[in-house]
Amino acid sequence: MFGDLRRFDSEWAPGGDWFRRVFDEMWPGLEAADIRSVPRGSFPRINVARTDEAVRVYVFAPGLSAEELEISLQDNVLTVSGRRDADAEPGEAEAAARRTLFRRERARGEFSRSVALPDGLDPERAEASFRQGICEVVLPKREELKPRRITIQAA
Amino acid sequence: MPVFPVEEVSDMNEVIKRDTSREPAERRSDAALPAVDIFEEDNALHLIADMPGVRRESLTVEVNDNVLSLEGEMALEMPEGLTSIYAEVRSQRYARRFTLSHEIDVDAIRASIDNGVVHLVLPKKETHRPRRIDVRAA
Repeated sequence: MFGDLRRFDSEWAPGGDWFRRVFDEMWPGLEAADIRSVPRGSFPRINVARTDEAVRVYVFAPGLSAEELEISLQDNVLTVSGRRDADAEPGEAEAAARRTLFRRERARGEFSRSVALPDGLDPERAEASFRQGICEVVLPKREELKPRRITIQAA
Repeated sequence: MPVFPVEEVSDMNEVIKRDTSREPAERRSDAALPAVDIFEEDNALHLIADMPGVRRESLTVEVNDNVLSLEGEMALEMPEGLTSIYAEVRSQRYARRFTLSHEIDVDAIRASIDNGVVHLVLPKKETHRPRRIDVRAA
């Protein structure tokens, strides 16, 4: 489903991702960027989708539990924050000292991200669930904003 | 600086194989690269990969010709009529491959997945572990 979005992303080209990343690193900031855009690889990544009844936000936060992720909503801005510590388990810090690191790509530390949501949502009825490292937040639309059929009366 | 994508092509056979079977090659290029941490500890290499949405059943770990491949399918239950508004995750699949060195004991590789995080332990062969050498008095 999210694959459809590629159509709207003019910069996208098959296999061009790594290429753009290399160039972004070489010449950063020459082009004007969307003020709300985030660098690639920001944690956690977020997808937003809608149905007729609700807006659904998917927060990709692998390794976190429901208690470790804080989600708040204010004026249609959804904020996700928390902390991911790769060495948080007991004894891990000591073990980490003996490690030889080869790659360290996974995000760690504190994070906080906000996304603006469409108007007309009912935060009182919002629900969130957490499965396999993905948090799904369902924000129902207010009654008056749901699509409705208009019957055409014969003249 | 990485100039080539991480997906290496190990030899010409691989190129030919990919060309003739277009379908799997296309599927592979569709997949996202999961972020990984790799470290060595206690005579084993550890590989930790972020693959949110992947369950145990939709994860495959394979070693073929000294190439470790890690693939997973995101198993998201989505309601009918869902339209995307904004997406940072655009692929439902993850795939990443690594070449292994000869000292890894391929048969002893263990994998586990918890909350969308994959943990692979790749132990070194017995013969490649460090050993203490006693120094005898002359």
